[in-house]
Amino acid sequence: MIVANSLRATNEDAYTPIIEQVDDEFTILPDESGVFERAKYAIDYENIPLDIPGERTLSDYYKTQAYHGAPPYIPHPISNDRTIGEGTCLQCHQNGGYVAIYDAYAPVTPHPEKVNCRQCHVGKETNSLFKESTYPGLKAPKTGTKFTVTAPPVIPHQLQLHENCLACHAGPAAPKEIRVTHPERVNCRQCHVVNNQEVVPVPDFTRKTEY
Amino acid sequence: MYKQTEDRRSFLKKMAILSAVTTATAMFPGILFAEEQTKNLPVGDLEWKKAPCRFCGVGCGVKVGIENGKAVAVKGDPNSTVNKGLCCVKGYHAVISMYGKDRLTKPLVKKNGKYVETSMKEALDLVASKLKETREQHGNDSVSIYGSGQWTIPDGYVASKFFKGCLSTNNVEANARLCMAGAVGGFLTTFGIDEPMGCYEDIDHADVFVLWGNNMAEMHPVLFSRLLDQKYKRKAVIIDFATRTTRTSVAANKSILFKPQTDLAVANAICHEILRNGWENKEFVSKYCNLSKGKTNIGYGLEDKFKFKEEASAINLDEFKKFLEDYTPEKVEKISGVSAKDIKYMASLYGDPNKKVTSFWCMGMNQHTRATWINNLVYNIHLLTGKISTPGNSPFSLTGQPSACGTVREVGTLTNRLPYGVVMNPKHREKAAKIWNVPVSNIPPKPTYHTVEMFRALDRGDIKFMWIQVTNPMVTLPNVNRYTDAAKKEGRFIVVSDIYPTPTTDIADVILPSAMWVEREGLFGNSERRTQYFEQMVNPPGECMSDTWQLIEVARRLGFQEQFPYKEETHIEEIYNEYRQFHNNKKHNMAPLEVLKEEAGMQWPYVDGKPTQWRFNAKYDPACTKEGFDFYGKPDGKAIIWQRPYEAPPEVPTEEFPFWLNTGRVLEHWHTGSMTRRIPVLNRAVPHAYVELNPVDAKRLGISDGDMVLLTSKRGKLKMPALINGRGLPPVGQVFTPFFDENMLVNKLTLDAYDPISKQPDYKKCAVRVEKA
Repeated sequence: MIVANSLRATNEDAYTPIIEQVDDEFTILPDESGVFERAKYAIDYENIPLDIPGERTLSDYYKTQAYHGAPPYIPHPISNDRTIGEGTCLQCHQNGGYVAIYDAYAPVTPHPEKVNCRQCHVGKETNSLFKESTYPGLKAPKTGTKFTVTAPPVIPHQLQLHENCLACHAGPAAPKEIRVTHPERVNCRQCHVVNNQEVVPVPDFTRKTEY
Repeated sequence: MYKQTEDRRSFLKKMAILSAVTTATAMFPGILFAEEQTKNLPVGDLEWKKAPCRFCGVGCGVKVGIENGKAVAVKGDPNSTVNKGLCCVKGYHAVISMYGKDRLTKPLVKKNGKYVETSMKEALDLVASKLKETREQHGNDSVSIYGSGQWTIPDGYVASKFFKGCLSTNNVEANARLCMAGAVGGFLTTFGIDEPMGCYEDIDHADVFVLWGNNMAEMHPVLFSRLLDQKYKRKAVIIDFATRTTRTSVAANKSILFKPQTDLAVANAICHEILRNGWENKEFVSKYCNLSKGKTNIGYGLEDKFKFKEEASAINLDEFKKFLEDYTPEKVEKISGVSAKDIKYMASLYGDPNKKVTSFWCMGMNQHTRATWINNLVYNIHLLTGKISTPGNSPFSLTGQPSACGTVREVGTLTNRLPYGVVMNPKHREKAAKIWNVPVSNIPPKPTYHTVEMFRALDRGDIKFMWIQVTNPMVTLPNVNRYTDAAKKEGRFIVVSDIYPTPTTDIADVILPSAMWVEREGLFGNSERRTQYFEQMVNPPGECMSDTWQLIEVARRLGFQEQFPYKEETHIEEIYNEYRQFHNNKKHNMAPLEVLKEEAGMQWPYVDGKPTQWRFNAKYDPACTKEGFDFYGKPDGKAIIWQRPYEAPPEVPTEEFPFWLNTGRVLEHWHTGSMTRRIPVLNRAVPHAYVELNPVDAKRLGISDGDMVLLTSKRGKLKMPALINGRGLPPVGQVFTPFFDENMLVNKLTLDAYDPISKQPDYKKCAVRVEKA
């Protein structure tokens, strides 16, 4: 049986109080869940001032990853190691903002609902290696992936766990090369489509000759 | 673009108080352009020329960048009030659609089952002689033309003049019959005149948007961005009322799901609530509305030569209220699956006198076996509350093709229509005959075949010759197998004008290579009555020729030089000026070409040098002849509130075929993808079709994401990969698949039932079986 119900709780309340039978088994679309989301208390992206000396660069960001798409390691000391992360990390990384002790801006996580931060993000105790590695890594795509001079750049990375575009592409912690000029346009994927060939290269369209 | 202020320390201080103080100082709205983002970009010496976008019916103004005789870039035209400088991904890459490697550049003629290249002259000679021969042997109504809402205004105009005025057949149809006929049916029955009374500026005024089965975030993304702007800036509320969860649902303030076809019942329940609570605008209803009822149990057009004739009779408000007693929110909850609470909530939004409400819809309501009815019902809500024809209060039917309004609906390239009025009306025929320079007896007074019936006639052999321009019916017709077989039958001659090989060119006897979009001069008309002009900016490849000129060439070969005397250099202007004579009145006057060449389009009625934004309201519309509101499409100036019941669709899920099948589009591909799939960036984004399943169904059937799934309906079978938890989420018991993929033709499964009033088929509801392949 089809259950028609509101997709999710919103700030809109009907005027007649009726007890609702909500079958809330699927409340999000994983592939799309974050597209229109903004962190609850995040600064007003549209009116963000610029702090040029404090900017992160794309290469700063890539240095925190073992390969393109890998979870970044935690580049700062961790006050409490007996925690999964959760609220401790989210204090700074849910909404971002200036952190005086590092003289830097906290990057915003695109997936604040995944609270076991430390299962993927680890600290760094040393720079030395146990043994050298020949692992070649996976090169990050170049910026400026446009098909014409005026075309919007495509999304050259996977969206899994990165559904919230503004988390990484807006705000003072966003690497300057990939910071969006128009954060007020929230339907990002109206113009920017995924062209990520990391998993399967997509050949050009060909017609089938037989139907 | 950006500047650095003061020293860093004081700057950081300001940052700290930013969340509390939102003054404009130290803020640089929007623009944060890092030089690194642009440093590697090529710098072109581009010449920018304005055009409407080639794709959907929103009609964005674009600027096309021309370099060395090629169209190489697109940007949004900031002067266009439609999109204000923004495009969607299709628009930004539109120019690439002209340069696909397999572009048709030479005419092809089928000889012994093989296509042979020939010259344009020979191909046109052949088309003309076949047309002549078929008419002589089988009569005027054995030949037909099938165009589309992508026809430019001059294309459609010469097609209608040629076939109706010169060849004496009303066998003129266009794919808008599959797309916007339901909307036309709704406008004509409620208001007596076609096309929306409002305009896109309604978005800037409305407090509430109700989207009726309209996944606007993907299908009309640029307009949806305007809605989102209002949501964030003015706290406007978006209600997504749909059968499936989509990006639009996620972005909306509230998503309400209903069972297929039950929008009819919910709309009635909203009216019931409005009247029960006394929220109707009594003065508006008594001064500007009549009430009527029509026939019920009107059928579905599944059988050949199906006929329907409406019988309307007046009713009063008490009778209407009595009728609505069957549609209390509690009763409708059982039919629709929408909670009574949500129905009352929607009614309370429409009924609140302090809220301006705009309803948007497109294919969800128009591709419906009761399309005219559901259009009527949504108008009922707006008429009862008087929320119409004023800024922000607008029932608004969107279109999907760039000139569905401009060409098919305004030029009237439908069997029953003329550029002004209908073929049934002797005065309208006289007007047409006079402007066309043909004897009035040339124009037959009876409509012949609407689209589905036209292809059925091709199957039966009543039609022997068909010329198809700018559309791909062998992908888009419902129950397409029947019509593909029909076209291949012995004794049928099919001419197809297109730019790429498609399943439709595959069934052609002659393929004529067309010039597309800015390779020729033309005009489109968008959803909000805006007519837009584009010049020829680049040369078409090979022997490609505009559809307008192809028609003129053939008409002249049949001896109609006098009716088609236009010079090649100025023919578009000559045709447009001739066409404007049809609409030379305050209700529909079109802007002169000089104005359209300068401006990013103009809305009709264009009167005394000014466009009209809101029709039927004396404050804005010079065609009104009385104070307040004047629904001048009806003789007494009153719009009709229609009593229309809920009726079930012709095919519902059964034990054998337990799933609803819904079809539609995706953001990246337009129509049948014959253009967008040749744009690499779009093809890579969505390389093929898929079937969306609810995870519960998928689990039960043992289907994982990407598994091949076999869909079976009474009409055909289709294998396609599953998409689970992708961009769309159908409810349990429903599946959805986009129709753009010619390699996975979902219209083999769909049902060719249609709305008896508007003759528009329903692509949103049929029954299928779903199995792991």
